[in-house]
Amino acid sequence: MDKHTLWSLRLGFSTKEAKAVKKLGMNEFLNRSFDSKFDTKVPDLLASSPKSFAELKETRKTLQASNPDAKKELLKKEQQTSAEMKAWWIEKMTETEFPLREKMTCFWHNHYVSTYQKVKVNYWIYQHNQILRENAFGNFKILTKKIIQSNAMVRYLDNVDNKKGKLNENLSRELLELFTLGIGNYSEEDIKNGAKGLAGLGIGEDKATYRRIFEDNESFNYLGKNGVLKVDEMVDTIFEQTNIPYLLTRKILKWFIYDTPKEKLVRYYGDYFKKMNFEIKPLLTKIFTEEFPKNNAGSKIKSPLEYILQLKEELNIENTNGIAIANFIKQQGMDLFNQPNVKGWEGGNYWLTSQLYLQRNNIADSLCNGRNFNGKKNTEVNDERMNKKNNQSLNIKLNWNNEGNNKDIITELSNRSLYGVDTNNQKDFEQLLKYDFDPKTAGSEFAVMRLFNFIVKTPEYQLI
Amino acid sequence: MDRRKFLTLTGTLTGGSLLLPDFLYSFGSQNNLIIGEQCVVFVQLNGGNDGLNTFIPFEDALYYNLRPTISLSKSEVLSASKGMAFHPSLTGFASMQQSGDLSVIQNVGYPEPVRSHFRSQEIWQTAPTNQEYLSNGWLGRYLDLQCKEHQPTAGINIDNIDNLSLKGEVPNSITVKDPNRFITKNKSENTVQLSDNPQLDFVRRVASSVIEGSDDIQKALAKSTASDVVYPNTGLAKNLEWISKLIKGNLNSKVYYTSLSGFDTHDNQLAIHKNKLTELNDAVYSFYEDLKKSQQLQNVTIVVFSEFGRRAKDNGKGTDHGTAAPMFIIGGNNHGKIIGNNPNLADLDKGDLKYEIDFRSVYASILKNKLNFDGSKIGIRNKALEGLF
Repeated sequence: MDKHTLWSLRLGFSTKEAKAVKKLGMNEFLNRSFDSKFDTKVPDLLASSPKSFAELKETRKTLQASNPDAKKELLKKEQQTSAEMKAWWIEKMTETEFPLREKMTCFWHNHYVSTYQKVKVNYWIYQHNQILRENAFGNFKILTKKIIQSNAMVRYLDNVDNKKGKLNENLSRELLELFTLGIGNYSEEDIKNGAKGLAGLGIGEDKATYRRIFEDNESFNYLGKNGVLKVDEMVDTIFEQTNIPYLLTRKILKWFIYDTPKEKLVRYYGDYFKKMNFEIKPLLTKIFTEEFPKNNAGSKIKSPLEYILQLKEELNIENTNGIAIANFIKQQGMDLFNQPNVKGWEGGNYWLTSQLYLQRNNIADSLCNGRNFNGKKNTEVNDERMNKKNNQSLNIKLNWNNEGNNKDIITELSNRSLYGVDTNNQKDFEQLLKYDFDPKTAGSEFAVMRLFNFIVKTPEYQLI
Repeated sequence: MDRRKFLTLTGTLTGGSLLLPDFLYSFGSQNNLIIGEQCVVFVQLNGGNDGLNTFIPFEDALYYNLRPTISLSKSEVLSASKGMAFHPSLTGFASMQQSGDLSVIQNVGYPEPVRSHFRSQEIWQTAPTNQEYLSNGWLGRYLDLQCKEHQPTAGINIDNIDNLSLKGEVPNSITVKDPNRFITKNKSENTVQLSDNPQLDFVRRVASSVIEGSDDIQKALAKSTASDVVYPNTGLAKNLEWISKLIKGNLNSKVYYTSLSGFDTHDNQLAIHKNKLTELNDAVYSFYEDLKKSQQLQNVTIVVFSEFGRRAKDNGKGTDHGTAAPMFIIGGNNHGKIIGNNPNLADLDKGDLKYEIDFRSVYASILKNKLNFDGSKIGIRNKALEGLF
C-alpha cells in the first residue's frame, strides 16, 4: 500500500482521497480539510422533534397525559429519529470531499460522550454533535467550555441533579478524569469542590445555564486556585495544569495512527500542543506531516466504520442504506450516539474478538456476492421501522485493470486494500489467480471478485 | 425462532452456530437426506495429473513411442489387467482395486477442453453446461438446496484458500487452514506465526480462532475414537486423518474437500511424479484402512481427480498440459470396476486424448447414488454414469 492510500484511510474512512493526498501533498490536503465547508442546517429528520425548552415541556405534558399506547408510539418515533440521525451522519462521512472533519467530529464524539440512550432528546444530541463539527479543528479549551455547557452533557452526566446542598459529582469528575487531565493529576477534593462550581448548571433554552437558586456560591479550592469559580474559570484553571495536553495527544495518536502510541511521542506532540495554546490545526498538521514519512503502516486495527466504509468504497456500492451500515457498526460495538459508557469505545484490540471478526468476514462474503447487509439478494424487505418497502438490490463493481496479468491484478488490489503483503499472502493470492489467468475473457471478473473477497478477510486487511 | 428469521432480525449474519449448538445433529434426520451418514471426500490433484503415467496403457506400443524418455516399463507397473496397470508408487491403489473398493473411470474430461489450469479448474469446480461462467460451485449449489438452514459445516474444505466448488449463495461450508489448531485449541495462541508487528500478531491470533462451526468441529473431535492406523507425515495425510476423525466423530458433513499440489510436471517428470503419487498413495491408503477398520468405508466415497491430464507425447523430460485423464473412486460401496475404454493413443486430437466420459456424468452419479440428489436441480444435465455404484 502506498502512503497516499494509507493516509487516505487514516484521515478519512476509505481510499477515496488517496489521489488528493498525492496531488495536493499532506500540508495542502490538511489546509483544504480544515477549510472544508459543512452543513449547518438542522436536518429535516428533526423537523417534528421538540427543540426549544418550551416545546420539550409541551411534549412531556402530552406524553404524561397520553394513554400507554400513544406514549409508546411517541417514544418509538423518537427512537426512529435517532436511527435516522445515525444514517444522516454516515452519509456526511461518505459524501464529503474532505472527510477529515467528520473523522475528527467522531473523535470528539467519542471523547465528550453523551448518548441518546440517556439524554433522550434528539435535538440536544444533534446540537452536541454540531458543536463538535464546528469546533472539530478549533481550540481544545474553547471546545471543552462549549461542550460542558451543552444541554446534552449536563443531562448525560447528571449535572441537572447537581444542586447546592445536594451535590452530584458526576460531571465534575469526568471533566477532570476523562475530558482533560486524566487520572492522577487531580485530587478527590478537586472533584468535590468542582461539583460546587458546577452546581446549578442545568438545561437552558439553547445551551446549559446556571439557575441562581441551585448555585453554590461559597469559595472553594480547585487545583490550587481559590475563589468562587464557575464553569469557564474552572476550565481555565484546568488548562493551566502542567499535564493538560497529554491525555488528548495520546487519544489523537490512537484514533488516527497507533493503537499503542509511544509515550515519548505523546509528550512530544503534547508539549507542542500546549505551546500552540491548544489549537487543533497546528497540532494535527504537525502530527500528520511528521508521521507521514515514518514507516508505521499496520499500527492500528480498523474501527468498524473504517472497515465497512472502505469495503463499500472498493465495491462501489451506491445508495447504501445508512441505517444498515449503522446497524452493522452497532453490532461491531460502535453504536453512534450510544457508547457503552462515558469512557467511549475503547478501540484498539477491543475492535476484534473472534465473534466480531467472523461478523466482518460474513458481511464481506455477503457484499462481495452482491447480497445485502442482511445476507439477502434483491429481495424486497419490509422495513418496519421506516414503515415502507425497501428494495434492497445491491450493485457491486470492483475496479481493476484488465491489461495486466494475474500478478498485476493481485498487486493492484492488495495495494489498495492491504497495508502489507507477505510471501504467504502472495502465495495464497496466486493460488486464487493463477499465472494462466486470462483477464480478458468473459467471466474473469468473478475470479477477481473471489480474490478480493479473500483479501478482505485476511488479518492484514483489518489493519491500517 | 429459526435461524433465517434470526438473521433477518439482526440484519446480518452472525456466528449463529454458537446460539444453536445442536442443529447440526438434526441435519441427518431431514427427510431429503434419507441416506444419513453418507459423505463424499474430494481429493483434487492440482496442476494437471498425468493420467497416462498414473493408470498406464503398458501394453500399447504407441505409449512407448510417444514417451521415449518418461514411460514406465512393463516390469515396473502394478496390478496389470486388460492392458492397464498402476504406477509403481500406487501400491495402495492397486491393492484397493484388488479388494474391489476402487473404481477407475477412464478418459474423463469435457468437450472443447481448456488447457489453462485456472479455467479448467473453474470448469471442474462449477460444472457449467456450455462453459458459461458461474459464480457458485457445483457443491455449493447442491448444499444451497440441501440445507434448509444455513449450515456452516455441511461442507468442509481443508486448504489455505476458499474453494470455488463449495461456494454457494449461503456459506454452507468452511475453509480450515490448519486442522491441528482444533486439537490444540488452547495452545493456538502460541502457534500463530509471529511478525514484527504486534497488532498484526494480535489479529492473526483472533483470525485463527475464527471459524464458524468450530464448536461443532470441537465436539466431533472430542467424540471421535482414536485411529489405530499410523498416517504418514505429509500434508495430505494429515488432512485425511483429520477428516477421518470428523467422520468418526459424527460431524455429518456431506462433503469434504482437500487438495494436493505439484502435478504440473513440465520437466523432470519421472522423479516429481513419483514423489507426488507416493504422497497421494500413502495418504489415501492410510485413510482407506482407517475407514475400513472403523467400518465407515461403505459410508465414505473418496473421489480423486485433476483439472486435466497431460499431452500424450512427452516434451523431453516432461509433459505439457493435456485433456482427458482417469478419475478414481474409492469406497462408498462402489463396484470396483474399470469403467470405459483404455486410452486410444491412435486417435488423438492435437496430440491429446479425446474424452469419452464427461466429468459431469460422474458428478451426477455421485449426487444420485451417494447423496440421493438429482443433479439437474443444480444444472447438471448429464445422465448419471452407469456401473459406478
